[in-house]
Amino acid sequence: MIVHDKNLLDNLALVEEADTLKSGGFISKEQRDLIKKELPVFRSQSNILVRLGFFLLGSFLYSSMCGTISLFALSGLEFFFHIGFYVFAAVGFFGAELLANRQYHGHGLDDAFILGGISNLGVAIAMTTEGYELVIAFFVAIASFIMYRRFLHLLSLLVFCIAATAILFYGLFEFGAIGKTILPFAAMLFAAVFYFFTKKGIDNLTQVYYYKGLLLPNSFCLVLFYLSCNYLVVRELSAVLLGNEVLAGKDIPFAVFFYAFTFVVPVLYLVQALRTKDRIMLWISFLAIGFSIFTIRFYYSVLPIEIALTLGGLVLFAIAYFSIKKLKEAETGLTFKPDRIKNSDAFLNAEALIVASAFGMKPEVKPANSPMDFGGGGFSGGGSEGSF
Amino acid sequence: MNKFDDQAAKSLLDKNLITENQYQEIAAYRNLNIFSLNAELKLFLYLSVLLFTSGIGILIYKNIDSIGHIAILSILFIIICVCFYYCFKNSKGFQKTETTFENPVLEYLVLAANILTCIFIGYLQFQYEAFGTHYGLATLIPTIVSFSCAYYFDNKSVLTIAITGLAAYVGLSVTPQDLLNNNNFYSEQGLSYSAIMLGVFLILWTIYSSRINLKTHFSIIYLTFALHLISIAAISNLINDYIIWLAFAVVLAGSSYYFYNISHKLKAISLYVFMIIYAYIGFNILLFRVFANIDFSDIWMLFVLLLPAYFVGSIVLFIKLIKNFNKEIAE
Repeated sequence: MIVHDKNLLDNLALVEEADTLKSGGFISKEQRDLIKKELPVFRSQSNILVRLGFFLLGSFLYSSMCGTISLFALSGLEFFFHIGFYVFAAVGFFGAELLANRQYHGHGLDDAFILGGISNLGVAIAMTTEGYELVIAFFVAIASFIMYRRFLHLLSLLVFCIAATAILFYGLFEFGAIGKTILPFAAMLFAAVFYFFTKKGIDNLTQVYYYKGLLLPNSFCLVLFYLSCNYLVVRELSAVLLGNEVLAGKDIPFAVFFYAFTFVVPVLYLVQALRTKDRIMLWISFLAIGFSIFTIRFYYSVLPIEIALTLGGLVLFAIAYFSIKKLKEAETGLTFKPDRIKNSDAFLNAEALIVASAFGMKPEVKPANSPMDFGGGGFSGGGSEGSF
Repeated sequence: MNKFDDQAAKSLLDKNLITENQYQEIAAYRNLNIFSLNAELKLFLYLSVLLFTSGIGILIYKNIDSIGHIAILSILFIIICVCFYYCFKNSKGFQKTETTFENPVLEYLVLAANILTCIFIGYLQFQYEAFGTHYGLATLIPTIVSFSCAYYFDNKSVLTIAITGLAAYVGLSVTPQDLLNNNNFYSEQGLSYSAIMLGVFLILWTIYSSRINLKTHFSIIYLTFALHLISIAAISNLINDYIIWLAFAVVLAGSSYYFYNISHKLKAISLYVFMIIYAYIGFNILLFRVFANIDFSDIWMLFVLLLPAYFVGSIVLFIKLIKNFNKEIAE
């Protein structure tokens, strides 16, 4: 099923390993270059900026091709209007095949054609079925899964995960009110089953190039599991889907369960992540904790925002400070020392950018316009920007 | 722990690409089973600074009339003093090269102290008009404080605040979100000139500091600001109706040429990619302006047909450019 050469896929893992070993200081730069020369790999872009640039260019190319086709077809054929998007999708898949044969993988250009093909297919089905969501999700899921199996394209696997969840949702909607009521529990069960299913898949895996393809749905299930029974999500969705407006003094059914779920699951993730040394789960747990806090603040304003921010900052500082103090000298296991092999410090480079966005100074407003305006509204941080 | 990592090292050994010794060393290190929370905890520190200073900022803004001014000022002043005291106590003093604190917490303390100082000065000006009606001073002084902090403690985040302050003094807003919305260049032509001047000044400063070896690792930040300032100012003036747009085309060409060279020298792919993007946008606007004078009513079909070919040509060109860059920085 895979269009790519299996040797190249194996080499991909080896070259990645060589890169990490080089940055860890285990092998020299010359040795790394030698390894790269010895092992042929795909035409790919590891830099995200460059890949994004090629994705944009690829999309331009793809849409201009579609434009040319429709220009010809519309002038001659009346029924082209009905099949146009199928043709566009075919162009996308054909382009993806062509690029894959020329050994493009993770380059940006191939992303444009694969994702473009999938989304055009979705639009085509939508037009044929007049927007029947279940059928659209079904066909998009099939197409994206085939794309993944053929090109090992991770982004289409993500599309597949979302489409599969959409099938579950719209499928339950078919059952009317009962389906909508059991939706959170069904989604939770679905996520749990597939989490353990993919986990088992990873444990039994022998080919390295399928590893990321199992890791992604695995992490997706974690996120879905948390969101499925999060109090905010459940309450808002039930308001939208069932029209259940929550009256004052009342709460949604099983509210206690959902509250407990909202708080227990992130903590569970955190503990489990630290126990099994699972970095992805750790990050998901951070995000989940953040979202749980947001959930509470969404319904109950426990503290005024400025006090909450200040106190939150202090608490977070204390947590970080004491953890650093405790972990500073550890040589094995959990530690504060940077890992020589795997370091996730990409965000540290973005720090300066975030500071500039949040606290950058703005030019002053001329006092003549309004005596209340004064310079540097940005001083006071995100919340009050521009309001001075 | 991922079982495939070890497998990959093993097959590198089998292919004779790494030596037995190296493999042993790698395996021994992996057996330590290290799980580093370095980046995560630093992120926490960073977030805590952002949350705390935002909180303080809003607190002061909301209670500007209720709590006593002296109380606010003195509390702020005390916090700032405590922060700076720890930073000075533990710093190695000013150094011309890159330095780091032994304790990473201090790096974030510097940031907090600096932001709080800016709030402090802003508050002073707002409440007491400490700088009279010289409103420029209220921006300039935090800028100077930030620059000194950035250079003394070697802090990149503070440096970006300082640069935005400098731009604000000139009359520009160069926070990333404003640069993306870039509406300040449309409204006033004069601002474009100041933006370009500021960009050129930043470039000159990097040249000067590399000559005297002063914090050369700051260059990339200055150059990033300069690139975006000059390019966005030039591009937004390319659609000007007056003949002046030709001058801006020349500016854009010149800056692209400069950044082409400097990105190779610094091995900075982010500069390189953005330079290409801006140059490409500029080139397309130029093409459009030229074509706008030709009557296309008869051959517009041909134009649409040529479009895919044009994009294929651009893609080939870009692939070449990126390949060249990667080859040259590898040497």
